[in-house]
Amino acid sequence: MSELAAPPGRTLDPLLDHAPCGYLSFADDGTITAANATLAAMLGHAPGTLDGQRIDAVLTVGARLFYQTHFFPLVRMHGHAEEVFLVLRAAEGGTVPVLANARRVERDGGWANDCVFMRVTERAKFEEELLNARREADRAREVVEEHARELRMANELLEQQAVELELQQQQLQEQAVELETQSEYLQAVNDQLVAHGDELERQRAAADEANRAKSSFLAVMSHELRTPLNAIAGYVQLLEMGIHGPVTGAQREALDRIARSQNHLLRLINDVLNLARIESGRVEFLLEAVELSALMREVTPMVEPQMDAKRLTFAVRVPPGTTVRADREKLQQILINLLGNALKFTPAGGTVWVECAPGTGHPPTVLLRVCDSGIGIPPEKLPAVFEPFVQVDMSRTGRSEGSGLGLAISRDLARGMSGDLDVESEVGKGSVFTLHLPASQGEPA
Amino acid sequence: MDMAADVLSRNNVRVTGRGTQPMLFAHGFGCDQNMWRFVAPAFEDDYRVVLFDYVGSGKSGLDAYDPERYATLDGYARDLLEVVHALDLRDVILVAHSVSSMIGVLAANQEPDRFERLVLIGPSPRYVNDPPYVGGFERADIEGLLEMMDRNYIGWAQFLAPAIIKNGDRPELGEELTASFCSTDPVVARAFAQATFLSDNRDDVARVAVPSLILQCSDDMVAPLEVGEYLHAHLPGSTLRVMEATGHCPHMSHPEETIGLMRAYLHPAVAA
Repeated sequence: MSELAAPPGRTLDPLLDHAPCGYLSFADDGTITAANATLAAMLGHAPGTLDGQRIDAVLTVGARLFYQTHFFPLVRMHGHAEEVFLVLRAAEGGTVPVLANARRVERDGGWANDCVFMRVTERAKFEEELLNARREADRAREVVEEHARELRMANELLEQQAVELELQQQQLQEQAVELETQSEYLQAVNDQLVAHGDELERQRAAADEANRAKSSFLAVMSHELRTPLNAIAGYVQLLEMGIHGPVTGAQREALDRIARSQNHLLRLINDVLNLARIESGRVEFLLEAVELSALMREVTPMVEPQMDAKRLTFAVRVPPGTTVRADREKLQQILINLLGNALKFTPAGGTVWVECAPGTGHPPTVLLRVCDSGIGIPPEKLPAVFEPFVQVDMSRTGRSEGSGLGLAISRDLARGMSGDLDVESEVGKGSVFTLHLPASQGEPA
Repeated sequence: MDMAADVLSRNNVRVTGRGTQPMLFAHGFGCDQNMWRFVAPAFEDDYRVVLFDYVGSGKSGLDAYDPERYATLDGYARDLLEVVHALDLRDVILVAHSVSSMIGVLAANQEPDRFERLVLIGPSPRYVNDPPYVGGFERADIEGLLEMMDRNYIGWAQFLAPAIIKNGDRPELGEELTASFCSTDPVVARAFAQATFLSDNRDDVARVAVPSLILQCSDDMVAPLEVGEYLHAHLPGSTLRVMEATGHCPHMSHPEETIGLMRAYLHPAVAA
């Protein structure tokens, strides 16, 4: 028995009072029925002062909650509890971590919950460390999981992009195939066009050949036709001369008509022959410097009598000194042709004139115009006037004396001399045929 | 039917009693249906007594635990209502301890027709102070509880038990350790503690249409007297009885008083 025995009224066994661990007994309603001196000292209380207090007095707030939700139910339901960690509250406000063992026993006709508390300050530190390490590990794992999640998401994104890229690649491949198909198609079209071109070339060659054959045929035919015509002319002359007997007035008139028809037919054949020659390239041009005023002096006498006869005013307004490079004979032929037309299509009392002007092209050209105040040509007919066998208005001129080849021959001749022939006209006012010719750099002939 | 069977198994539902009207007992945080051992038998003569464990507690199916569903008390209210539906309980007298009081409030608000009376033992609509409202705790106090739980559940049971089980030489020790705290899974317990102590159900309380009895312990540090008075003032159709019992678990510490007050409330004529 020690002098540190329990104060008066205490029933605690002195052995228990000084046991090397805290001891506390509480009733179900939470009242402390006994606490030993070791516990009181552990918490900074005087021995015996805890008796009768509520157990909340020795627990921190967290420990009180844990007591109410865990510790008491555990002891109450199981009858005991082992190694429960609690944080006790010291008198000065400090905390004392303890491990509690408890047992529920029946004593003095009631139930008592006896607890022993073992200080675990040092252990608690290690536990704290362990717990912290665990929390750290949990946090680290969370971070890792978060990273893993991010990686997964990034990976998914990449996979998605890969799928998209693959899709795009497929599209590109499809487009490439499409392009290849188009390319093949274009190649095929190109091949066709080339084949077409070859075909056209062949057709053109064939057409040229056919044209040459036609011209050649016409030349031959014209030549063959001229022989009997010359025979007709010869025999008409013999008959007119009375070699085969006297000729009556009526016979002479008939012979005269035969001669005129023969002459017309011969001219027609000559024209055809000329055109055929020109078109088949068998006409040769003797190009030389031709002085136009001199040329007109040669041409004028050939047409003047007919102009006078039809009471037409004929004027030549070609000043001396204008020289062109041309085939003199062909140029004459063109002028006579054009003046013949003017004569034909200009009513009596009208005017026909020839004028010249410098051209605008380069190399320099000269324009020689044959103008008339005649009936003119309707605009829609203009393009056709140079076509072979075309006469613009038969009704106005009556039965034409010409072959309809004159203008075609004239244009072909002009072009054969690196010149050209075109026309401007107004119905009722007259026509202007313009002959384009290269100017000659040399001296006049 | 399968669904109902699943729920009965999942929530470890136990049905006893010889009465017809169901009396459904809902345990609080930190324990399981065993906590009703001293109270429930007293009602077996007159009621159909139904006990169950929330998912994560007691012998419930832990594989049904879904952290998202049970992050708030709504998930626990679904457990409760699913038990009600599985047994097709009507005119239920719900006896709820602590946090289950608010779980019961949520359930009763969702399906008021299923419930006849609520008996709320140590209820609190909010534990953390929100001046002028007095809940009794600061956030730091709740942290203290979580710390204590970590040290007890995680510190030992979790740290060491799996290692022992893994070694395979003494698996029963691991089971004993993890089963020792009224059988609550440590991870679930932590989430349940947060859902419980950080909840605020003051708005839900005001909408309750089922009559209720509030059993308020004297000197209950978890649910102080101010909380009981606040609840009585804001819970429509509530009756407040302040018990002689102290602490937070009168059904365990003072079962006789608890039973008496319940009977007096449910059968006033008989009790009088």
